[in-house]
Amino acid sequence: MHTELTIETPHQRQNRHKAMEAISVLNALKEDFKSPIRSMGYFYDLFEKVYCRHEPLHEGKAKIGTMCIQIPSEIIYALEGIPIRLCNGFYTDDEIGSDLLPQKSCPLVKATVGWFASDNFSDKPDITFSPTTCDQKTKAGAIIGSFGHTVIDVGFPRTKESEESRHYWRESVKSFAVKLSKFQGKKLTKSNLESAIKKVGYAQSLYHKLTEFRKAKAVPILGVDMFLVTNAFFFDKIDEWIGAVEKLLAELEQRVNDGVNVAGKASPRIVYTGSPPIFPNYKIPLIIEESDAIIVADETCSSNRMFNDMVAVDEWNLYDMIDSVSDKYLKACTCPIFTQNDDRIRRIIQLVHTYKGDGVIYQAFAGCQVYEMEQRSVLAAMEREGIPILYIESDYSPSQHGQLTTRVEAFVESLKNRKRMKK
Amino acid sequence: MKNKFSLRRAVNNMNLVRFRFWFQIAAFAFIVYGGYIGLDLGNKLPTFACVYNAEGTGGKCYVGMLQHDLKHPIDVFMGYAGYAFLISLVMFMVWFWVLNKGWCGFVCPLGTMQDWLTMLREKTKIRFSEYSWANRGKIKSIKYILLFLLLLLPVMIANSVFGIPKLPNGLSMPFCDICPGRMMIPAFTGDFNQFYIDFSSKTDIVMTTIGMIMTGLFLAGSFIKKRFFCYFCPMAALQYIFSKPALLKLYKDGSKCTRCGDCYRACDMDILEIADDVTTKNMVTEDCTLCLKCVAACPEEGCLEANFMGATIFESTKEGFVLRMAMDQRGEKHAH
Ligand code: SF4
Ligand code: SF4
Ligand code: SF4
Ligand code: SF4
Ligand code: SF4
Repeated sequence: MHTELTIETPHQRQNRHKAMEAISVLNALKEDFKSPIRSMGYFYDLFEKVYCRHEPLHEGKAKIGTMCIQIPSEIIYALEGIPIRLCNGFYTDDEIGSDLLPQKSCPLVKATVGWFASDNFSDKPDITFSPTTCDQKTKAGAIIGSFGHTVIDVGFPRTKESEESRHYWRESVKSFAVKLSKFQGKKLTKSNLESAIKKVGYAQSLYHKLTEFRKAKAVPILGVDMFLVTNAFFFDKIDEWIGAVEKLLAELEQRVNDGVNVAGKASPRIVYTGSPPIFPNYKIPLIIEESDAIIVADETCSSNRMFNDMVAVDEWNLYDMIDSVSDKYLKACTCPIFTQNDDRIRRIIQLVHTYKGDGVIYQAFAGCQVYEMEQRSVLAAMEREGIPILYIESDYSPSQHGQLTTRVEAFVESLKNRKRMKK
Repeated sequence: MKNKFSLRRAVNNMNLVRFRFWFQIAAFAFIVYGGYIGLDLGNKLPTFACVYNAEGTGGKCYVGMLQHDLKHPIDVFMGYAGYAFLISLVMFMVWFWVLNKGWCGFVCPLGTMQDWLTMLREKTKIRFSEYSWANRGKIKSIKYILLFLLLLLPVMIANSVFGIPKLPNGLSMPFCDICPGRMMIPAFTGDFNQFYIDFSSKTDIVMTTIGMIMTGLFLAGSFIKKRFFCYFCPMAALQYIFSKPALLKLYKDGSKCTRCGDCYRACDMDILEIADDVTTKNMVTEDCTLCLKCVAACPEEGCLEANFMGATIFESTKEGFVLRMAMDQRGEKHAH
């Protein structure tokens, strides 16, 4: 035992494996594509710092874990906490979690549970709020709690159409705010919530400006880079993230003027949807963009859905702001856990039209019931609209790479043919 | 081209709340004081320009006129009175078609007063109330009942309907008797003579008492509930009947809507359809006041728009949204 310790502890081994996963993706991002963006350097460094060198970002601050996008970061920032979203994309952690969860579980959930089981964080959350979204997330919250971690459930409705759901969720958010406020020993006030709403709103507005660039014929930024930027928002210091995105925007502006295109002239434009790409599991997005296609938009909770709709306040009083924030996190959400999938379908179609997509790629994690179940409804809708779509099931393991590449390449090829025929 | 583009952009980025505030003040002054400088738009206006504000008004309320028009024995009505009625109605429709329900959101003095009371409440930080959803549906029909009564009662004064004896003359302007406009609008010209209970007959006592109560409710109700009175307003019901061909429209492109509900949150009339309906194009619903707050609150590019005779005049944009919500700067401090 002792000798083993001097060689490598399990934590050290886990970190080494994660660093290897992280660095291979970062290297691919940095090296495999033409015309790299200088200001993406900030994000590459950030991920290297956290996932390769294991350096903490928020020492001395209260870190508030969240299990999904539905926990309002506005309220966490207002109460001076740091929201850390715990959705995990590491195969290493997925394997640890596999021993604790059924074989067929969602890799994202397994990886999150595995992360907690190993208790190996650079920034360990002090408390975690778990919205009861999909079954697996819900259960994962309880399992993580059984490891001795503080996890608080935040009741999330599964039907979003009804007024009952709206009321239920508003109450949930209020009680979340009360609990967090107690935990932090701080009061939620009109002024701290207002400035948090405006800060997060500003960050969102920057994201929207970034997406504007992707509408153009010559796309100045890769989809995988965009995923990296949005994933960084999971854990970065918000002010630094804002600063980095401002720089990125300026550089993209320049690139547009210079006519830089990160894709080829004939590269099909892809709208991406399904289970969320979370660093470093960029398997499918990387395959897509290495196969001479370009992701111009997405409908996933790790990116577009997270930033899309903004909080609108009518009366800037505390009660109205809390209700507005609650509504945004429920009503605008297009998560497939909801009974109806119509909003999500409409959104995908809308993205295809606004971003002039040539096709849709739908990834579902093996074991993710909701995305697997909604596959049919989305496929049928795309067929009606005449939008080509490819459905892929994947997980975090590096094994199926070859087979997936073949399928994606074939799809991209068919899109290219279609484009040629149209001309 | 560039110029046109920036004008459009400037309009879409405007601060609607401020624009509406000043527009309403100007319209209010016009309606309530216009008469003093000789303005007169006639007596068929689709808004509460109260006839009891005799000296001041810059135009007069059609609901008052309508009750007057209907108080004729049937044979007279079949003759010249019927023509007069039709001509009035057409005049009303023409006025109404210009602004559609925008008369409510931008012109009606009673609507404006309610908005002022809302602002006052906001200052006191008192929370607004909402009607419960169970009652919301029932409330909707009250304005039609009121409209029906105000059409029927004058007829019943001049005629015996179904053998029922004629109604007493005290009911000749039944809605005016209970309309808060009768007291509130002249009050702004210093004329408080309408605050009284008329003891000349039983009907008058009852009606003027209801009138006083209505005015009290109007003031108290709209302090705690935005546009409290508009939910019951028979003018709104009358307007809605003619709303379809109007020139000003509120259009929605459902394919762009994410049903985020931001528009519904902004709507003083709690109109759920504005957020939830993704198939209808024309969103001017019966309770809508065309205030355009929903357009200003929608964060989706081109999803909601105010349209005049086929031309977009104001539409939702991301940029406009961010500016109006003051989310355009990274700092903590924002000027309001
Ligand atoms: S990918 Fe599916 S199963 Fe996994 S957390 Fe998301 S919704 Fe749940
Ligand atoms: S009392 Fe009311 S309905 Fe009658 S004329 Fe005046 S504003 Fe119009
Ligand atoms: S609904 Fe009636 S009271 Fe309200 S603004 Fe319209 S006309 Fe005026
Ligand atoms: S604010 Fe716009 S996008 Fe949101 S529900 Fe209303 S119309 Fe739809
Ligand atoms: S639907 Fe829009 S225009 Fe109509 S009342 Fe509501 S906010 Fe105003």
